[in-house]
Amino acid sequence: MTPGQRHDEFDELVAVYAVGALDGDDLVRFEAHLAAGCPTCEAALRDDDEALARLAVAGPRAIPPAHVKDALLARLDATAPRPRPVTRRWLPWAGAVAAAMAVAALLGAGFTATYYEKRLGVAARETTALRERLASQEKALRVVELLRDPRTQVVALRGAGPNPEAIGRVVWNEATGGQLFVANLPAPPAGKAYALWKITGTTPVAAGVFTTDAAGQATHAVGSAGKVDVFAVTLEPAAGVPAPTGPIVLASAK
Amino acid sequence: MEPSGADLIRRMAAGDRAAFTPFYDRYAPLAFPLVLRIVRDRTDAADVLQEVFWEAWQAAAAYDPQRGSPEAWILTRARSRAIDRVRSIRRRGATFVAPLDEAIAATPDEGRVDAAEQASDRRRIASALAGLPDAQREVLELAYFGGLTQTEIADRLKQPLGTVKTRIRLGLERLREAIRER
Repeated sequence: MTPGQRHDEFDELVAVYAVGALDGDDLVRFEAHLAAGCPTCEAALRDDDEALARLAVAGPRAIPPAHVKDALLARLDATAPRPRPVTRRWLPWAGAVAAAMAVAALLGAGFTATYYEKRLGVAARETTALRERLASQEKALRVVELLRDPRTQVVALRGAGPNPEAIGRVVWNEATGGQLFVANLPAPPAGKAYALWKITGTTPVAAGVFTTDAAGQATHAVGSAGKVDVFAVTLEPAAGVPAPTGPIVLASAK
Repeated sequence: MEPSGADLIRRMAAGDRAAFTPFYDRYAPLAFPLVLRIVRDRTDAADVLQEVFWEAWQAAAAYDPQRGSPEAWILTRARSRAIDRVRSIRRRGATFVAPLDEAIAATPDEGRVDAAEQASDRRRIASALAGLPDAQREVLELAYFGGLTQTEIADRLKQPLGTVKTRIRLGLERLREAIRER
């Protein structure tokens, strides 16, 4: 807050922000105020969130369907253990905000689109986005290396079945493996994922599962080199399957 | 002694999958009724619930106990995702969404008997909400459960924007007081 600016108006905006109803200029102004650091507003938001959490659980009760837990545990099993040190400390708030702001600077207007996602949510998402961005840059560097190799070929995949507008490319090197890039493929339904298959002759070999993001995009590393005739993508249970069972959504020409 | 919710989240942040089940068992029964109340459809609500807990697993490292309770952390997320879902359904216009007034009316209560402490907590909040002037309760419900923004509420109620903001602030202050009195 700049000296001389009154804090009163923010007392009201805090409450509206807490219930997720702030919009327009008010939202932009308040988020800027918050990002600049305001202990008063942070404390008020914390109290408001606690009050709303009580309100949320004071209503009629309902029992969560059992299949949700099953699906989550299956997804968890399908995920490789994360390479994360066990001694990891709590991400300090200041660090999370700094990360969020760094990403905001990178993404520009994208940051304000987070709308009613609140402080912790914003920090969590943007920190994750930052990590993903770094990972994707590393991937990009690997692809550049791949493309320098004269043996590398780029295989086009076309959308099939329910997603004719989907497209894919595999940057493929028979000696070292490659990368799959996908666009225009909607995110899979809950509990499902896309599975990539390397088909040599008539035998499909599993080459990992992936999901697309909200923009319909994905990047997926394709390991274990070798000769491949056709690349295909099918929709499968998120836990993965040993052989294709679902519809083909993308395939290369033989 | 049972681990605290914050302990479970800390273990999840360290990649400990064994912490996820107790975390889910403790918080899904709190989050699901909220999600169901907002999206109104059990299938949609189940999808949203799954998204919320998957994100919680992925974002566990960003949880800071100084900034709020695990309940507030997960419920804030659940409410956001549920509102996202309702807004996207309304935008597509493809599926029938119950009118808002109906959506914020009570849904059938499937719960079993609460522990005494929880029950009294519920009663206090319910009576605090019931004790609010209608005008304040209405704007809180339209915003929090209905997902309307301040401008949409002002349009709908044909009230000046300033009035809507003030009602939200006063209503929320009363709720905060009711909780502090515990």
